[in-house]
Amino acid sequence: MEEIKGAIALVGYGIAAIGPGIAIGIVVGNAITAMARQPEAAGMVRTTMFLGIAFTEALALIGFVLFFIA
Amino acid sequence: MEPLILASASCDPASDNICKPDNVIELFQFEDALFSIGPFHFTRTVFLIFLAMTVVLLLLYFGLRKRSIVPGRLGVFVESLVTYVRDEIAVSIIGPEGVRYTAYLLSVFLFILVGNLFEVTPLVNFPITSRMAIPLFLSLATWVIFVVVGFAENGFRYLGGLVWPKSVPWAMRPLVGLIEFVSTFLLRPLTLAVRLFANMVAGHLMLTLILSSGWIFMSSFGDAPLWKTGLVGPLWFTLGLLIFVFEIAVSVLQAYIFTLLAAVYVQSSVHPEH
Repeated sequence: MEEIKGAIALVGYGIAAIGPGIAIGIVVGNAITAMARQPEAAGMVRTTMFLGIAFTEALALIGFVLFFIA
Repeated sequence: MEPLILASASCDPASDNICKPDNVIELFQFEDALFSIGPFHFTRTVFLIFLAMTVVLLLLYFGLRKRSIVPGRLGVFVESLVTYVRDEIAVSIIGPEGVRYTAYLLSVFLFILVGNLFEVTPLVNFPITSRMAIPLFLSLATWVIFVVVGFAENGFRYLGGLVWPKSVPWAMRPLVGLIEFVSTFLLRPLTLAVRLFANMVAGHLMLTLILSSGWIFMSSFGDAPLWKTGLVGPLWFTLGLLIFVFEIAVSVLQAYIFTLLAAVYVQSSVHPEH
């Protein structure tokens, strides 16, 4: 079998981006649903949406940083 | 073009695993100093930190110098920034006592905002928050604040409520307490710093690579085939300019998110078990 060449960290980043990608989609989609149902709560929903995005996004970003330090 | 992050020159694809520039470690350590005063090395980053500080101070000074009923254009801008941080971030998240933390949140917000916007400022083009030291320091300062506030407001019940949460079933308490302890005291400052740092590094790299490769495609006219210089080059450069606009939005959003999370962490210390 031929030796696999290249950086494993790149594959790691790709894998690390899957989960947060799906999660951010779910977060934003549900936030849009909430805003459409209750437009007067849009401000509060938007703040919470950014919070949710920030928490999920951290995982992908840690994968990105591992790419540099690995 | 010499200091540009272009790895192709010093890379042999046959032997190197990955073509990365030699100075990646510069993201975490200091680069060559412009000049040094004793142990303090005055680099470009340090210069830009002072520049950002000056910009923020001047903005606040000239914006709030004349307190009139109808402020000027700059006054309206600065006042809306201040009231936004006070009302929408501090008070709406922490509660009525959040006014006390407005000064810290506002200075963090403005410093990160100016530091991030250096990324898209012509002739500067370097976000100071893409050096790990600065987001790390800001997040450690936030960490100290929310831990001290937690102990000052709640005493040792703050720590007790974290490691022995009353609201979960008895058998689950050690596990949940351990997870809470690690996530509060170790992961919070780390992710707060890494989020800002990684976003700015990614944006900076993306702008540098796409704009410079588009420029290289276009400027190699005569050497390269025409479809490359005439078609791919301008398209690639236009993509870079679109990402430029995107990066402005990312800069503002990351400054907002850092401030928002700092407020949320302080809130979780002021009113634990919510």
